[in-house]
Amino acid sequence: MPDAEEIERLRLEFQAALAAAATDQALRAVRDRFLGRKGGVIASLMKAVAGASPADRPLLGTLANQFKNEIEGALDDRRASLESGRPVAGGLDVTLPGRQVPIGHLHPLTQVRQQVEAIFSRMGYEILEGPEIEDDYHNFEALNMPPEHPARDMQDTFFLGQPVPQRGLGTPGTRVSTRPAPPDRPATLLRTHTSAMQIRYMEAHEPPVRIVAIGKVFRRDNPDLTHTPMFHQFEGLLVDERVTFADLKGTLTAFVREIFAPDIRVMFRPSFFPYTEPSAEMFIGCVFCGGSGCPVCKRTGWLEILGSGMVHPSVLEAVGYDTERYTGFAFGTGIERVAMLKYGVDDIRLFYENDLRFLEQFSF
Amino acid sequence: MKLIASWLRELTDVRLPVADLASLLSMRGFEVASLDPVPEGPLAPRPPTRAGGDDANDAVIDFEITANRPDCLSVAGLAREAATACRVPLRLPWDEAGRPISSVRAVSAPTPTRVVADGLEVTIEDADLCPRYAAAVVEVTIGPSPEWLANRLTAAGVRPINNIVDVTNYVLLEMGHPMHAFDLERLAGRQLRARRARAGERLCTLDGEDRALEPDMLVIADGSVPQAVAGVMGGAHSEVWPGTRLIALESAYFTPASVRRTSKRLGLKTEASSRFERGTDINAPVVALERACALIEQIGAGRRVGAVIDVYPSPRGPIDVTLRRQRIAQLLGTTVDDAEVLAILTGLGFDVAETADGWSVRVPTMRVDIVREADLIEEVARHHGYDRIPSHFPALHATAPRPDPRMARKTLLRHRLTSSGFSEAVSYTFVDEADAAPFVAGDRALVPLAYPLSEKFAVLRPSLLPGLLESVAHNRRREHRDVRLFEIGACFSTAGGEQHLVAFAWTGACVPEHWSGGLRLVDFFDAKGVVERIGEALNLPLVFTDLTNGYLVAGRAAAVSVGKTAIGVLGQLAPGQSEARGLAAGDEIYVAELDLDALDRLAPTADTRAESLPRFPSIVRDISIVVEEGLRSERLRATIRGVAPQTLIQIREFDRYKGQGIPEGRYSLSLRLTFRSPDRTLTDADVQEAMERVMEALTREHQAVQR
Ligand SMILES: [Zn+2]
Repeated sequence: MPDAEEIERLRLEFQAALAAAATDQALRAVRDRFLGRKGGVIASLMKAVAGASPADRPLLGTLANQFKNEIEGALDDRRASLESGRPVAGGLDVTLPGRQVPIGHLHPLTQVRQQVEAIFSRMGYEILEGPEIEDDYHNFEALNMPPEHPARDMQDTFFLGQPVPQRGLGTPGTRVSTRPAPPDRPATLLRTHTSAMQIRYMEAHEPPVRIVAIGKVFRRDNPDLTHTPMFHQFEGLLVDERVTFADLKGTLTAFVREIFAPDIRVMFRPSFFPYTEPSAEMFIGCVFCGGSGCPVCKRTGWLEILGSGMVHPSVLEAVGYDTERYTGFAFGTGIERVAMLKYGVDDIRLFYENDLRFLEQFSF
Repeated sequence: MKLIASWLRELTDVRLPVADLASLLSMRGFEVASLDPVPEGPLAPRPPTRAGGDDANDAVIDFEITANRPDCLSVAGLAREAATACRVPLRLPWDEAGRPISSVRAVSAPTPTRVVADGLEVTIEDADLCPRYAAAVVEVTIGPSPEWLANRLTAAGVRPINNIVDVTNYVLLEMGHPMHAFDLERLAGRQLRARRARAGERLCTLDGEDRALEPDMLVIADGSVPQAVAGVMGGAHSEVWPGTRLIALESAYFTPASVRRTSKRLGLKTEASSRFERGTDINAPVVALERACALIEQIGAGRRVGAVIDVYPSPRGPIDVTLRRQRIAQLLGTTVDDAEVLAILTGLGFDVAETADGWSVRVPTMRVDIVREADLIEEVARHHGYDRIPSHFPALHATAPRPDPRMARKTLLRHRLTSSGFSEAVSYTFVDEADAAPFVAGDRALVPLAYPLSEKFAVLRPSLLPGLLESVAHNRRREHRDVRLFEIGACFSTAGGEQHLVAFAWTGACVPEHWSGGLRLVDFFDAKGVVERIGEALNLPLVFTDLTNGYLVAGRAAAVSVGKTAIGVLGQLAPGQSEARGLAAGDEIYVAELDLDALDRLAPTADTRAESLPRFPSIVRDISIVVEEGLRSERLRATIRGVAPQTLIQIREFDRYKGQGIPEGRYSLSLRLTFRSPDRTLTDADVQEAMERVMEALTREHQAVQR
């Protein structure tokens, strides 16, 4: 008569047979031996269980069924693992290239721009675009550059052949305007910097002001390795109570550490811009040589990255702010400049040729 | 400004190695463009007296001087900065008597604007452009300069000419004050008159150019004709020449804006004009004359006759600016010791008097850039050192307003277009007029630039397409057969001003070539699918209608609108346009351009409301009909919608066929109609009845025949 011990013995027998079966054929033999309808080990076992005493039958029946399931499962698993090692009919050359849904690439300037926007958005700045054609007042006069000011030479201007209406500019940004709208002036030039937008914003809002204006600007430069008559700029402005030069340093340091590298070295040096006083140029440790000196940094180990300074009181006065109560800082640079340093692009004109061999290098 | 280090050391006891001197000044705002060894030969009247090899430690340092610091376009100005930085005294040759510049006495004038002395008559006719004119008469013997002087000029980038001209240039470099020497015997009436040019007057300048003068240019004339363009360049006629025996030495102050305008108009930039236009020291002319005359005597080139003539109708003194201790801290975010503030400001030549809450600062007239408190704080900060100001993060006193939805929309379109296989282009805002002309919409006109860089950049772009097509051509020339580009940007017209558009161009394969085959070239409906996707992204139902315009192929062009608002165009580029850009006429290029401003106005701003998912199954029925060729699919849809029950939820064209088995002039169209009810399971009978009504209507209205 079968008993639990007998079943355990059969189990060991099965495991040994299974382990020895290395081919389909051998596996089939094991299956026939244990699961064969006639004379199979399980079939015999079941028959024997049926003949057991009524008291033993339920337990033996359960054990025998368990054993049968075990065998079936183990045989299936082994067959699957034997099969998986072998190609199906019509197997593929998996080394051939895949079929890709074509995907385009964002322009590298857009990619840098999006990073700049994200960094300053997190610092609480509102991002603005503003018009590309401007009037003389917003582009120069309100920024402390009256006619014949020598600093106008730094930004040689494209004038329009005829004035063009600037209708419906409305209030820049999404913040509710707190001041009456200034009269529309027809545009007479292509803006030479995005600072013009700062004036438009301050005209419409009382402090605190925290904005970044971003977009195309234009200067009369013939295209060469480092110049194009059009480029992109971003400029930030913060005006509030108790804003200091120390705040300017902290903000810009945080920015360059995020956009370039967390451990990048920075340096601030005096400079001149008509709309800031004091003015500063910010440098970062050369990203090409790490500061040891190379042709790109003219062997100084430093690269100029941003112009900045405390907002000139004349600019705050031009928009009617109380210069005793409010101070502020402003900063700006070319997006091309950041992109050239960040991606190691050595010819600024590449940004405007739209050569796909160039665009497709930037993975977005 | 090319500075010879040893020349600077003549004026102050700064004994730093040249590299350190360069970086010291660079950290105070004077950027170093280059540092080069000095040329061979003596550079000083006497060999340097100090041991320790100053010669070996000499160099020519080229500094870039910012527009606000004309005083530092001179050895003296840079020496003053270096002396302040090192806290050592400054010794200017013209201050040797310990006499401040402003107290130099001048000959008093019989009338405020005219002086006659020593056989020279000086008159200021236009005091608004020439507030001060000083001159001296000097007997001279023209010859070459001593070697050291000529060497100094050469090293500083100025060509030596003769002893007199060289002395004026030497003073220009040393003090920053430009001067000019006239051959006195060549001046009609022995007169010098500072006046505006008269209509039609001309002058042959020192460079040999004959120049037309304009009535708002200031000239220095003799009794009859102009002899110099004031502050810019002298005339050839009264130039100092080897036979000159007597000179009138000019040392004046000209209004910066006037010199700047004149120099720009004449296209003539000189060492003198670049200083005058930024602003020279109005109280320097007489000092400069005395320095020049002393040098002329020193090198044996001549001696002054009589006194200095000084016409200075309304003398200007220094200004006083208040500087508050507290304000320095408020602006810089750090405190600077009183003693340091004092040392910095006095070192830079300011007279400082203490007040209750800070200082009253007297600003010398050479510092044209200092007019208010913030300017003085910059001086303190520069010499205190920007690196000593701490880094801090500003407090946030208000939340940022919500982001501009227009910019979010542009980002969304960028995502849609890149995921449709388009790469982003950025093209110039100005284009060739001929390239732009075909793309000017109806009643609009191109905006020209006043003085374009070239023909290629003559007008502001009226459309993004000229730029995109240029880029397509660029890529095709470089073996890129499949090109998909888009651009988002501003375009311009005289009437409409600035307008934001999105456009794309597509040529070559619809899907990239793959070894499994199946290459298909882009067609109209690929391009239309992209436009539809833009509509979908903005939640706007777009309507497409037939369009004829100049640059698209008729029959393969559509106007795109939302309701009654036209928002753009779509279609195949006319072969003529392709050929004009060097592209093969046979290559099909599909383009589209949409008005982003209009889309912004129309796009719904409300959040999407989620719909519950269908609870009952749908029933699908196909129908194939044969209709007249010109019949638009949209009309068939309208007919079906007109008679079908609400339960018709989708109509889809899935096959369109012409040719064998279809009568000439007709085509077959297969449509798949999907029915579903939100509140019950539809029966075959429901759908059957609807299909019969649909077929009946199609037959009635469009003579459709069921296949
Ligand atoms: Zn480097």
